[in-house]
Amino acid sequence: MAFNSAGYILSQALVSLRRNIWLSIASILTVMTSLTLLGCAIFFLANTSYIAQTFESQVEIAVFLNEDLEKGQLEELQGRVKQLEGVATVTLTTKEQAITEFQGSMGTGTLLEDLGGINPFPDKLTITATDARLVEGIASRVTGISGVNKVRYGQGILEKLIMFTHWLRWIGIGVVAAFSFASLLLISLNIKTNVNSREKEIQIMRLVGASNTFIRWPFLIEGLLIGLLGALLAIAVVGIGYTWLLQYIITTLTFMPVVANQQFIINVLLLMILSGITMGALASAFSVRKFLNI
Amino acid sequence: MIKVKNVSKIYPNGARALLNINLEIAKGEFVFLVGPSGAGKSTLIKLLYREETATRGQVIINNTNLMRLKSRQIPMVRRNIGVIFQDFKLLPNKTVFENIAFAQQVLGKSKKEIKENTLSIMELVGLAGKRGSFPSELSGGEQQRVCVARALINRPNLLIADEPTGNLDLETAWGIMELLDQVNKYGTTVIMATHALHIVEKMKKRVIRVEAGKITEDSMGRASTSGI
Repeated sequence: MAFNSAGYILSQALVSLRRNIWLSIASILTVMTSLTLLGCAIFFLANTSYIAQTFESQVEIAVFLNEDLEKGQLEELQGRVKQLEGVATVTLTTKEQAITEFQGSMGTGTLLEDLGGINPFPDKLTITATDARLVEGIASRVTGISGVNKVRYGQGILEKLIMFTHWLRWIGIGVVAAFSFASLLLISLNIKTNVNSREKEIQIMRLVGASNTFIRWPFLIEGLLIGLLGALLAIAVVGIGYTWLLQYIITTLTFMPVVANQQFIINVLLLMILSGITMGALASAFSVRKFLNI
Repeated sequence: MIKVKNVSKIYPNGARALLNINLEIAKGEFVFLVGPSGAGKSTLIKLLYREETATRGQVIINNTNLMRLKSRQIPMVRRNIGVIFQDFKLLPNKTVFENIAFAQQVLGKSKKEIKENTLSIMELVGLAGKRGSFPSELSGGEQQRVCVARALINRPNLLIADEPTGNLDLETAWGIMELLDQVNKYGTTVIMATHALHIVEKMKKRVIRVEAGKITEDSMGRASTSGI
């Protein structure tokens, strides 16, 4: 480089930001708005996909077994089911456990006596699948095993659920894609306009003998700073907003699954900063290039 | 030092600004370019620091053919040429001091050196009190002097001036002319386009008259009085 220091570039960029203060503020606010929307979209995607995942993981297959099985047969059956492809967990609930649990939930300890000593509950296996789409296949194979009486897994509802979660995921991805594109467009258009308004300035620099590098760097750093400041405002808005929303949902809508992973939230916010500075710097550099041909 | 060979310039809109111009200017000369407005003086000048390129022909300065330069080589050539622009071309967001210093910053001079040189040239052109002013806060004459200072600060081999006294009162104009004359005496080649007949008459330098895109007169000492 023909000039001596990064100090020069930085001071030029800062001075220029200050002297074009309203333009700078407008650009920073544009970056902030774009990245806020983008951040919201990412959290929306994360949560829709998490909701889909939670719903699907809650799908269980209930296998009711014949009355006459011995304890050894029960365990053998549980072992065989566990071997089936796509099975994540198999839990055995014996008839004794079932009635105890039921009594517990009813708040009475005398149910068995009231029924004349006959336990109406069958032994039961509860199967969860690694993927909700495998549930139907597992169910049909389990039905064929001897000792199995009835298999229930929410037939009819499951298909709808899979369809619903499928769309939920795609909508999330679509929203993120649309907002990424929109924010990219907004930021680069804004910074371009910003640089375009200084076409004359860039050309004068060329005419006075400044090299392209010498002209470009301060603009690039200026764009980067605009991106950074806009991103910092955006992560403040999104970070505080999302944390508040999480608190609200966790305390009031307890049934609703939400993504509250700290590391994930931090990563999204870092991604927003990175997008801001990259878009700011690149948009600036590209816009300046157009005027360097004099 | 400067050779202009068979140069024609036709703008994209079809305007024929220069037609087959041939010109040689030796190192250390002081040359006035005269002629009516729209005759092609400014175009000729713009070819010399490569703001414009010739449609045909060659412009050679110090053995470098300006028409064959790559984009990144252009700044190197311009650094040896000081230009006083007709419309000043000051950077609107920089102060008087920064505008003048900019020409030194592009050369990568040290901060201390830049400050010393800038302040001394500001003194020389009579801008000492305007250090922190922005171009929009200056009068036309003051802006012109900023432009003059910026053109001179790097002690260029070639000084090109397009109407450098156009906005100045008589006294300041002569001040600038003395400055250009002095710079010329130190060895800088000076090319100045002007309408100021009294200056041309009094300076007794080489005069090149451009009319309708052609050189119609190239004489020493005086300009014929018509149509300057």
